[in-house]
Amino acid sequence: MRTDAWIELLARGAGPAPSGFVARRVGAACVLGVLLSLALARALHGPLPADLFSAAAPWMKLAYTGLFALAAAWLVARTARPVSRTKAPARAIAAVVLAMAGFAAVATWLFTPSGERMRAIMGQTWMLCPWTVLALSLPTLALLIWSVRGLAPTRLRLAGFANGLLAGAIAAAAYSLACPERSAAFVAVWYTSGIVLTGGLGAALGGRALRW
Amino acid sequence: MPGDASQDEFESRVKPLWLRAQAGDEAAYRESLSRIAQRLRGYLRRRLQGMPHDVEDLVQETLLALHLQRGTYDPAVPLGAWVLAIARHKLVDLWRRHGRREALHDAWDDVDESSLVELVACDETAQARRDLGKLLDELPAAQREAILLTKVEGLSVTEASQRTGVSESAIKVQVHRGLKRLATWVKQT
Repeated sequence: MRTDAWIELLARGAGPAPSGFVARRVGAACVLGVLLSLALARALHGPLPADLFSAAAPWMKLAYTGLFALAAAWLVARTARPVSRTKAPARAIAAVVLAMAGFAAVATWLFTPSGERMRAIMGQTWMLCPWTVLALSLPTLALLIWSVRGLAPTRLRLAGFANGLLAGAIAAAAYSLACPERSAAFVAVWYTSGIVLTGGLGAALGGRALRW
Repeated sequence: MPGDASQDEFESRVKPLWLRAQAGDEAAYRESLSRIAQRLRGYLRRRLQGMPHDVEDLVQETLLALHLQRGTYDPAVPLGAWVLAIARHKLVDLWRRHGRREALHDAWDDVDESSLVELVACDETAQARRDLGKLLDELPAAQREAILLTKVEGLSVTEASQRTGVSESAIKVQVHRGLKRLATWVKQT
């Protein structure tokens, strides 16, 4: 077929470009991912006793992971397009992480007696936490890879990393509803580790899995 | 610098057309795809010096990708950069299919002035090797019919829906699926 005939075919009846193209695909993956992560977290740990929510800890974790997820979703939406402009969302993610780190540092150094600081940072489940976040993130990561592959990422490993961060943040948010730990230092270190670990997995897979 | 003039000219001429096309102006869409094809030809001809017969195929494949991914264009980004990023992605795919390892070391999203010098308008159309018309015929019946009626015979979606008895939204879905499947097949040839 001659190219001008091909152009004619593409243009005829094309209509306007679809609106909210990226947001719809990524958003759908996120909503499904949240539901699956919540279901998995509940299956693994059972529901959190309701009275725990009168303490600050679950809200602190949800706030951190929720903000992280929002910033990561921004990065996913940008890296899903050709010519991705990543500076602003990358700075947003850094800001969230640094704010949490700052908050945790203040909480630990000013309000935790020095003998208990190490215990506050390590908690009881430090070995399990990052890997649990990673495990909980897998369905969301798969959904995000599938949805972004239908878009047009041109920096595949970066897009994969963004997918991983988002999946990890969603998983960490779900996990925070089942996790017994209370200290901000623990969250700042180990939840972040789990999210970054998932980011690494996303990056490793992205080079291949995101080809379109 | 000739590169700058060429790049600026492309943006100032084609971007307004493209934006009208994004809003639904079919004539503007046709015109902008034509001009983009000219640019792609010049760019790819230089990059595919060892494989001249693949140039037109890749032009057509890239145009299809641009069409399917119209929704990812952000008006804050130069049109040339967006087109180039997609073209390079398809180029690397082609090289990979032919066993050549990814040799593009330059950053994907750097709108590098010197590379845009290559976006020189090229009017001569070589013959494409791959026949997209034949591939169209091999699509599943519903997809093929939807594309033939709305895009070849030029019926409106309403008319096509009346002719086939299929709902209007189903017609649109079949067209989209058919084009997506073509894009997948094209990667395999």
